[in-house]
Amino acid sequence: MEVKGKKISLYVNPEGYKKSVHNVAECEDCHENYNPDELPHSKNPVEVNCISCHKESKDIETNVHAKVKCYDCHTKHDVKPAKEFAKEQTKTCLSCHKNQNIQHYSQSIHAKNNVTCESCHGGGHKVKNISKGEIALTCGKCHGDHEKNFRNSIHMTVMKEGNKNAPTCTDCHGSHKIIRGKISVESESCLKCHLDETKFPGDEKGSARFVAHYKTSIHAAVEKEGLLEAAGCVDCHGNHMVQEPDNPKASTNRARLMETCGKCHKETVEHFKKSKHGQELAKGNDKAPTCTDCHGEHDIQSTLLSNDFSKINLTDKCLSCHKDGKIPHKNFKGEEELITGYEKSVHYTALKDGNFDAPTCYQCHGAHEMESADNPASLIHKKNIAKTCGQSGCHTQQLGEFTGSIHETGVNKDNKDAPTCNNCHGNHGIVTKNIDNKLEKAKDLVNLCSNCHASVELIERNELPTLVAETYNESFHGLAIRGGGKEAANCESCHSHHNVRPSTDSLSTISKNNLPKTCGNCHPGATEVLFTKKIHITNPEEDSPATFWITRIYMFMIFGLISFMLMHNILDLRRKLQHRKLLKKTGNSSGKNESK
Amino acid sequence: MSGKENLEDIKYLRMSFNERIQHFLLFSSFIVLILTGFGLKFPEAFWVKWIVFIIGENAFEARGIVHRIAAIVMIAASVYHVYYILFVPRGKQLLKDFLPRKQDLLDFKDSILYLIGKSDIKPKLGRFSYIEKMEYWAVVWGTVIMSATGFILWFENTFLKIVGTEGMEVSTVIHYYEAILASLAILVWHFYFIFVNPDVYPMNKAWIKGTLTKEQMEHEHPLELEEILKAELEEINKKNDITENEAELNNEEAASVKEAETDLKKEESAEIEANKPDLNENKN
Repeated sequence: MEVKGKKISLYVNPEGYKKSVHNVAECEDCHENYNPDELPHSKNPVEVNCISCHKESKDIETNVHAKVKCYDCHTKHDVKPAKEFAKEQTKTCLSCHKNQNIQHYSQSIHAKNNVTCESCHGGGHKVKNISKGEIALTCGKCHGDHEKNFRNSIHMTVMKEGNKNAPTCTDCHGSHKIIRGKISVESESCLKCHLDETKFPGDEKGSARFVAHYKTSIHAAVEKEGLLEAAGCVDCHGNHMVQEPDNPKASTNRARLMETCGKCHKETVEHFKKSKHGQELAKGNDKAPTCTDCHGEHDIQSTLLSNDFSKINLTDKCLSCHKDGKIPHKNFKGEEELITGYEKSVHYTALKDGNFDAPTCYQCHGAHEMESADNPASLIHKKNIAKTCGQSGCHTQQLGEFTGSIHETGVNKDNKDAPTCNNCHGNHGIVTKNIDNKLEKAKDLVNLCSNCHASVELIERNELPTLVAETYNESFHGLAIRGGGKEAANCESCHSHHNVRPSTDSLSTISKNNLPKTCGNCHPGATEVLFTKKIHITNPEEDSPATFWITRIYMFMIFGLISFMLMHNILDLRRKLQHRKLLKKTGNSSGKNESK
Repeated sequence: MSGKENLEDIKYLRMSFNERIQHFLLFSSFIVLILTGFGLKFPEAFWVKWIVFIIGENAFEARGIVHRIAAIVMIAASVYHVYYILFVPRGKQLLKDFLPRKQDLLDFKDSILYLIGKSDIKPKLGRFSYIEKMEYWAVVWGTVIMSATGFILWFENTFLKIVGTEGMEVSTVIHYYEAILASLAILVWHFYFIFVNPDVYPMNKAWIKGTLTKEQMEHEHPLELEEILKAELEEINKKNDITENEAELNNEEAASVKEAETDLKKEESAEIEANKPDLNENKN
């Protein structure tokens, strides 16, 4: 027959009908007002009212499928049983919903795992659109954990505040396609919003521009090379429970960064946790630096490539906190000045001159394992300093000399007075003082040694030899240095500098066997020198009786003779003046001037 | 012609030109040695700093060199002096006059008595008083000591082998204390008699001019003066014996000599008298 110019067949395949679930029903059961005898059948279409029998499906009249006819899904005559229909339901839905997005469903994980349309949109005849607010709940039916996390996220919070841009499950994962790949989620979801300057304006933290720095980071760079281990958004920020860094629970919160970064950088973070920085951070000191304070946030760079971490610029990084007394030192007043003194040090100067072997902060303090000096594990603990300075490639020779010296022995015995490298050379401001000016060097050296060896307190406490500085200063060597002699011996000329040992030690430069050689450095032919007295005479009466008695005799002579002379002078003067006075008085009568 | 003029006009040779040169070499090298020596021992003293400031960077090295040069000058002068007193007639006389005698002890005793007021008689002193003899022999002693210890310290590498470190230390100590002793002796003893002494104040110029005035001779060396005058008289008498004409010419001179003698006596008596009331006063 023809309807609106189209030829249609009203033929009903009896085979199909017999197989259908309606095979027991007569035609007129559905086709009301239908007269089987009237041929051909009425041209007027006859409404089939399924609801009159299928009362349970009445809901469909009020939901989104209200205008969809039953037969649109169930077909007309070969209606299948519900179980069979359900099997092919998805196909049935997709036969109408040709939208590409929805079509993607068939490739999605849901399709593979038998999560059907009905699972989300409601089954049977209760089909519904899922509003944005309901999405999380819907997904949560299966993905309960994720939903819970999502409910605590900043995304949920802003959604509740009425932000229409706030994303929910489908905004990141897609509704039907269901994106699971981390990279796809990040590039197609996170960055799509967070790089949008209209959504996140400005330059501040959280702005699109701020996030855009990520592209320059080492994390992004590694990712490009196909290494999926590299950190993307979710690796640091968390996936569902994305939270603002201010939130103490956030994975990007300062205090929790150690954990977050430690997921990948395990060893480094282990070191850092033990460090002073890490400990302060754990204590809740909000001034203590965490990973991002040094390494940056989105623009994080490899320390090898980063300009900020170059040997020369690292100083600036550390000094950004360690100066101007921002971090008061427990023991040393003005310690921050000592730190800034590094910029004047020979180490820094060498760096600036292009010697990249010269050390910067981390080489002595450790980078992540930076610990304060009073921690025995610290690289700069008194006992470890020599090793740190003498690390391979640095002052190994000097370490060798220092090892076994009396000073080193003291340090190893936990003697706080015993000097190690920095006590003589300084801490940060290690300076080569007037290296060309031998005299200044010698004077400085004498002063340096005198700091301890002329200190009554230190001498008493450590039973050091007494009066060594005083006797040196009065010796010809000492007088010459005081007077400006450039070649005279100073402390190190005899005692050496690193290898200082007591005279009883056969390795000492001042042991009896080595003295001729030591003195011979300046006094050629001193090999036969007769060392008949101690060099530093501390008790003249015992150490050198001859000089003691000569001094006594001379003192007596000087005092006696000069006082005799003075007395003689005074008496002579008195007598002569008396005489003159009298001559004047008697001048006229007996004075010689007037006579004759 | 007044008596005063006479006393100032007549000059008596105290130091010959040769002796003055010796004295000059001695004292100039002595001063340099003192400055350069104590300059080493007291490097922080203000005057040392001035000198160092003026001389500049190499002051210390210069100090050592100058000290050695001055030492050589002093030793050379001393060696010449030994030759002088052994072989030159005037030098021989000098040595003879400098030799200590018993009279010096007596003079010393009398002098002390006079000075403390126990005696009114000032002992008559000869060409070299006990004071000057002490000074002379002190210089001799000091020069020997300082030269010996100085050489040891100078050639330390050689002497270390001989005297050892102890010997070096002893030399250093002696060199130092002897220097103090010598400097103080010159300052206190010598300078008093040359500069402060009221009889010669402000300065005894004998070391420049070589002569003493008669007045100074009367004060310091009356015995020598007497001897000189005696010798002169004898000479005059001899001359008188030879030619009367010449004697006439010399009359005036003789008169002046006599005059001086009488002056001297008068003065002495005046002095004794003058001291008497003083003593009385003291007793009262």
